[in-house]
Amino acid sequence: MVQRVLEVDKLKVGIRDDGRKISIVNGISFHLHKGETLGIVGESGCGKSMTSLSLMGLLPPGVERHDGDVRLGDLRFKDFTKKDWRKIRGKKISMIFQEPMSSLNPVYTIGEQIMEMILSHEKVSKKAARARALEMLKLVGIPRPEQVLDEYPYQLSGGMRQRVMIAIALSCNPEVLIADEPTTALDVTIQAQILELMKDIQNKLHMSIVLITHDLGVVAEMCDRVIVMYAGEVVEESSVVELFDHPKHPYTKGLIASLPDVEEQREYLSSIPGVVPAPGNMPSGCRFAPRCSLAHDRCIETPPQFTTESGSQVKCWLFEEKESEVAAT
Amino acid sequence: MTKEQKVLLKVENLKKHFPVKGGIFGNKTLQHVKAVDGVSFEVMEGETFGIVGESGCGKSTTGRTILRLLEPTEGNIYFQGRNLAELNNSGMRKLRKDIQIVFQDPFASLNPRMKIQDIIEEPLINFGVTDRKERERRLLEVADQVGLTPAQLTRFPHEFSGGQRQRIGIARALISKPKLIIADEPVSALDVSIQSQVLNLMRDLQKELGLTYIFISHDLSVVKHFCDRIGVMYLGKMVEIAEKSRLYDKPMHPYAEALLSALPSPHPLKKKKRIILKGDVPSPSNPPSGCTFHPRCASCMDICKTDQPTLQVVEDQHAVSCHLYTEAGKHSFAAGEPV
Ligand SMILES: Nc1ncnc2c1ncn2[C@@H]1O[C@H](COP(=O)(O)OP(=O)(O)OP(=O)(O)O)[C@@H](O)[C@H]1O
Ligand SMILES: Nc1ncnc2c1ncn2[C@@H]1O[C@H](COP(=O)(O)OP(=O)(O)O)[C@@H](O)[C@H]1O
Ligand code: SF4
Ligand code: SF4
Ligand SMILES: [Mg+2]
Ligand SMILES: [Mg+2]
Repeated sequence: MVQRVLEVDKLKVGIRDDGRKISIVNGISFHLHKGETLGIVGESGCGKSMTSLSLMGLLPPGVERHDGDVRLGDLRFKDFTKKDWRKIRGKKISMIFQEPMSSLNPVYTIGEQIMEMILSHEKVSKKAARARALEMLKLVGIPRPEQVLDEYPYQLSGGMRQRVMIAIALSCNPEVLIADEPTTALDVTIQAQILELMKDIQNKLHMSIVLITHDLGVVAEMCDRVIVMYAGEVVEESSVVELFDHPKHPYTKGLIASLPDVEEQREYLSSIPGVVPAPGNMPSGCRFAPRCSLAHDRCIETPPQFTTESGSQVKCWLFEEKESEVAAT
Repeated sequence: MTKEQKVLLKVENLKKHFPVKGGIFGNKTLQHVKAVDGVSFEVMEGETFGIVGESGCGKSTTGRTILRLLEPTEGNIYFQGRNLAELNNSGMRKLRKDIQIVFQDPFASLNPRMKIQDIIEEPLINFGVTDRKERERRLLEVADQVGLTPAQLTRFPHEFSGGQRQRIGIARALISKPKLIIADEPVSALDVSIQSQVLNLMRDLQKELGLTYIFISHDLSVVKHFCDRIGVMYLGKMVEIAEKSRLYDKPMHPYAEALLSALPSPHPLKKKKRIILKGDVPSPSNPPSGCTFHPRCASCMDICKTDQPTLQVVEDQHAVSCHLYTEAGKHSFAAGEPV
């Protein structure tokens, strides 16, 4: 069996409003195999970033884990102290954020920021850390790496900053990399460079990646397996080919059908009516029902996850008869 | 594009240079950002003309300068034969009815303290339509056209989703019955599911009202879906203009070719071969000599480092600005690997 490096088990993340728990991420489960790239897709506001931040122990103030657990090898996040987090962040699990400018510290040089990551995890001399920082800048393809080491973030372009973020994230050879919309803020030609770079480094370091994006083109390009999130829940899990060829959940179908097809010209695009509901204001039963053209009587109840013949997991009543085993939700 | 089509807008050698101030008192002009640097193109009546290119290449500045929201540094803009660049303010105000703009960010571009109906009506008041009945009639008409209900009109922007706010922006642009709408990244801030709603709406309105669009976007698949002809910009210049299927099937400019190859594949089993460009886009305040793309171009020749190519029609309405297609270029030598 393929080794599972990361396992998320019925994770619930949310806020408290007058003591009432409002969930943002509502009991999601998924796993990550060694060396694979798992995509997480969904419209904005579906809870993708809250999921990834909870994997890093970096939830914003006011947002907390209500239930469930995450396992990374034999570590369990549930019991973690702040000190434990500091030890594993960057070393075992690392993250690249959407906005490269706001996640680099403007008052330290690029070299200092990479060195800090290395020195906080490894007992090496400053000189060795600096040499390693330079090596990392070369690895991510930064032009004039010797000079950039002593430059500040504002002196770099968006694409270079994102490369620096990758260099920092990878400087301690993490087992798992979480990339939250790593190329959304970048131009397509720079996006192409960064995606190519991530694939290249993954092969070299045999890393596992969770790639969060709302861009299905990026998913097609990069991922082996995909989970689709809607309103804080996982509604489908499939291999990438299955997802594009036979999308199952009505939400997944809707997302794929909305894409402009670069090969085939259509006068009109299909779309999904309505918008993602806000946390605390979720419809009861199937959360997608108000936007679903196939909603029926059954959908007043919350559907469990059904496993299809192709091995996909689908949280939708339409797959009830066809399935064999019912996974608990 | 059919032969009978009339030119609605003609842009000729348009330039917009922004001064960069510096010196001890911040009052000396040190250099200029050449945001738009000699752009020429035509837009036909009833068509959708797309402008694509990477961040900072001058797409928005081109759009704003056409509307004279920014004063052009140089060049001519003919709208139905009249030169906008020569109009005074009151002449321009009259013409604004005919040319409207829709902005990218539906969150930032609407005044949060105004009711939707006042936001949509505002242009009519600016154009001096004093008859309230007439304004209300138009308001209800455009609201209906973009799919807003009368009840929604008394609400405020924060109560609307991104897609709905973009509908409000479109209604506001439509109310003066324009002929040309410049849409600057109208769907870039939206999820694909909502983006398609807005694009479908814009297409319906075009058919119904005979609108002409200039559609600015960095999303190549959206542009391919939505536009008839497309201009590709790089560092303040148009480097290629062609009918959409020609451009996507057979890009001629090396930059256009690389840009189109960077488009993510539509399916996991159809991975494409990409041209990965080296380096970043240079600064528009200090563009490279000769062809401004030469430091990143794999086909760069000696002449490219010194001589600036101009946009020329090379084949059937397909214009390109590159020495690979000029007489001078044919006699030049390859300069080796780009740096
Ligand atoms: N008011 C201004 N003063 C100085 N420079 C400016 C000003 N407005 C724009 N620029 C510069 O002009 C260039 C072109 O900007 P523009 O906004 O037209 O780009 P764009 O193609 O629309 O990019 P994007 O895709 O990011 O919207 C950029 O280098 C920008 O920094
Ligand atoms: N700091 C916060 N406090 C409370 N709610 C938040 C916070 N950040 C995000 N949310 C809410 O959580 C939901 C999911 O957000 P997010 O994970 O950022 O979505 P995505 O990354 O999928 O776009 C949204 O409804 C958002 O408004
Ligand atoms: S469970 Fe019902 S409402 Fe939900 S996605 Fe399936 S068919 Fe649609
Ligand atoms: S003119 Fe020369 S450098 Fe410029 S795009 Fe053409 S071949 Fe490349
Ligand atoms: Mg997010
Ligand atoms: Mg712009």
